Amino acid sequence: MTAANPVRRIFRFFAFLGRRAGRTRVFAVLGLIPVVLAVVARVFLRGRTGLMADVFTEILMVFFLQFYIVLLALFYGTSVTAEEVENRTLSYLTTRALPKPAIVLGKYAAYSALIAALVAVSLTVSFFVLNAARLGQPDLYVTFLRYLGVLVLGILAYTAFFTFLGTVLKRAIILGLVFGFGWENVIQYFPGSTQKFSIVHYLKSLLPYRPAPVGAGGGRGVALLLFRLEPTKPLAAVLILAALTAGLLALAAWVFRTKEYLPED
Amino acid sequence: MAVIREKGYTHWDGRLVERRFPWSPITRTGILLAFRKKRFKLVFAATFVPAFVFLVGLYISERLEDFKAMIQGSDRLINIGPKYFVSYFTNDSLLFMIALVLALGAGGLIADDLRHGSLQLYFARPLGKKDYIAGKMSVAAFFVLLYTAVPGLLLVIFKLVFAGSFEFFLKYPWLPLSVLGASLLLTVFFAFYIMLLSSVSKNNRYVFVLVFGVYYFSEILFNILRGVFRTPYTALFSIPANIKQVGAAIFGQAPPLAVPAVWSFAVLAGFCGLAAVVLDRKIRSVEVIK
Amino acid sequence: MTAVISAVGLSKYYGNILGLNDVTLDIEPGITGLLGPNGAGKSTFMKLITGQMKPNIGAVTVRGRRAWNDPGIFRGIGFCPEPDAFYEDVTGREFLTGLLRLQGFPDAEADERAARALDVVDLAEARDRLIRGYSRGMRQRIKFAQAVAHDPEILILDEPLSGLDPLGKRKLIKLIKGYREQGRTILVSSHVLPEIEALTSRIVLIHQGKILAQGDVPYIRDLIESHPHQISVTSSDPRALAGRFIGDRSIQKMTFGEDGRTLVVETHKRDEFFGRLTQAVLAAGIEVDEVSSPDDNLQSVFEYLVEK
Repeated sequence: MTAANPVRRIFRFFAFLGRRAGRTRVFAVLGLIPVVLAVVARVFLRGRTGLMADVFTEILMVFFLQFYIVLLALFYGTSVTAEEVENRTLSYLTTRALPKPAIVLGKYAAYSALIAALVAVSLTVSFFVLNAARLGQPDLYVTFLRYLGVLVLGILAYTAFFTFLGTVLKRAIILGLVFGFGWENVIQYFPGSTQKFSIVHYLKSLLPYRPAPVGAGGGRGVALLLFRLEPTKPLAAVLILAALTAGLLALAAWVFRTKEYLPED
Repeated sequence: MAVIREKGYTHWDGRLVERRFPWSPITRTGILLAFRKKRFKLVFAATFVPAFVFLVGLYISERLEDFKAMIQGSDRLINIGPKYFVSYFTNDSLLFMIALVLALGAGGLIADDLRHGSLQLYFARPLGKKDYIAGKMSVAAFFVLLYTAVPGLLLVIFKLVFAGSFEFFLKYPWLPLSVLGASLLLTVFFAFYIMLLSSVSKNNRYVFVLVFGVYYFSEILFNILRGVFRTPYTALFSIPANIKQVGAAIFGQAPPLAVPAVWSFAVLAGFCGLAAVVLDRKIRSVEVIK
Repeated sequence: MTAVISAVGLSKYYGNILGLNDVTLDIEPGITGLLGPNGAGKSTFMKLITGQMKPNIGAVTVRGRRAWNDPGIFRGIGFCPEPDAFYEDVTGREFLTGLLRLQGFPDAEADERAARALDVVDLAEARDRLIRGYSRGMRQRIKFAQAVAHDPEILILDEPLSGLDPLGKRKLIKLIKGYREQGRTILVSSHVLPEIEALTSRIVLIHQGKILAQGDVPYIRDLIESHPHQISVTSSDPRALAGRFIGDRSIQKMTFGEDGRTLVVETHKRDEFFGRLTQAVLAAGIEVDEVSSPDDNLQSVFEYLVEK
């Protein structure tokens, strides 16, 4: 037998199962929508480069940041434990020579990678379709990597949060929904420190929010996303997101190790 | 010669009495099962909050002098007329709560049957596909009517009681019909909506995510397209926007967006038609293994 | 012989519901049959052994190690769960190789072991079909295959024969017996006595979370024999039939049904009675409509033993 890391073993197994599942195809189709919209916008806004960049930063980024990654993280994150309990397949995992925390962490990693892949494909295509006229500008790639980085951090944090909820609660999806689409949206209208009690605040703090220099052909920043934002410094935001992710995962792993999961009947 | 029978076999000599509504036991069971879920009861009760708020508004409208200081800026709730009812039937809180109640109480109606392969249990009885679908849809309809027609008609009655006269009724004699019409719109649409999504997966959680995912996605798509094309017609992509358009028309009010309400109605009707087709294909007594 | 699995004062509650009540039991190498009606606590006991549940009171050890939260013990345990649950979107081969890789086998060895296990359960031809398309019997066999694919010393099999056709049952019984010959420890649960009887002579009777009796088959048979059976005979002339049995000492009680056609007999020697019934019916020329034994099931035997 190999001493392959148990987390890696679980990751591999669930990355395979995740790719195979029909629902992944449905979510991938959902990811095509920004691409289609980008193509449509490109056709209609032909020649207006700045406006096209605005469409991405002010409209498509909202879709990615406040809908697509939250929805995917909500479904896959709560699936980490609940799916095994509901489908009664947990015993196939817990009766292997695998530490229980490895099951949660490996499955979390597999599903996060799957979400990241879905989002990255959609983001890359839609971004470069809308910014095709600026492909020669190096700052475009920096912006792209920044968006991608923010979304990946968001995926990691949201999936960790929903994974934690799923290990603790039987019906985590209801609370997850209220958090993901209720709390995270409402909190941004609150001033001061209140908005810091959300994940989206730290993600928005990492987005380029200053207007691009005139003549650079860039957009005006992400005004819609940054509505009433009182940003946290980027480094602090990254550290907080990382700490949040690590903390939630550690909690999830601990709960999974100590809790008994009984089938409903 | 004695007849050898397999143990447990019994011949039933009775006569099968056909029910008038063969699907009604499905509905009854569905409703009872929904109330067995602890969280459902909480959400069920919370869904009446918008009705209560509107009732309070209605009461205040009759006691304006007493509440003058409190009501600045809340004319939507206290100017009782068709607009008030449009607000009730198409407010985001009510639509969200209806979606939540249905996702919790009705999301598994077909998904669970598909998951456990129990469709055959239904079709081994004197029930047809239509009875099955009608039975399941009636569960959804029961809840939606409870949050629409019942409070809607009660609000009309309370208005008359609080006012102590029939003046309001004489001014808007068609209002109860509009209340029923708007209730019917929401009931039919949401019943088809939840049945469609419940039939596309065996996984209850996936259905739950779809109920909200599709609903909000349609709204986001509307906003994205409006941002690109700068035309209100993109509202046709949005479920809540279409409901608001048709809801306003039912009460004889101008739709919130400059799009003919009939277009929105066509979109909603088209969605229900599509749902009916999918349901017809998905509900089979024998599971086809791919 | 040394106990491989040992339970001492083991109890498990699900809220107010008693799952297992003060069970003390040693399981040695060979096959041990856990026999009990549905809801008796068989699965709970197996889940405690396999560390899927934590005991409320008492302890269970496998080779001296506590089962809860000790993944190391699973290198030597193969568990076949009772529910018909799978990762449905994978083929039989992918299911086995995936689980073997989780167990820590390198890819090539996992493939090889999976192929061997599929062969053992006669699923080699169906290996590339999705599990969702498998018949009930095939699903039961693939479940067994995943329990044995990593060559465990201890096999915990929860109702492994349910859903199999007679031929499939016979094959699986032979296979399980083969593992016994290799000196492994096997715990098999069932609610069907003949199934357990075909596998082993060492039986543990479990009911309402308690171990009622344990021993070899003759002992258990004796217990079951001592349980008075009720046999109902519906015929054209029950009184004439009763007359034929009046001197039979194995019969304890006879009553007549209200329909005037039924004779209910209570006896300790069921098989003997059936032999005499045939003779009596032929001799008297009575037309028999139905013979049934309403309490001829494990549940009634257990109820009798509980009262006893």
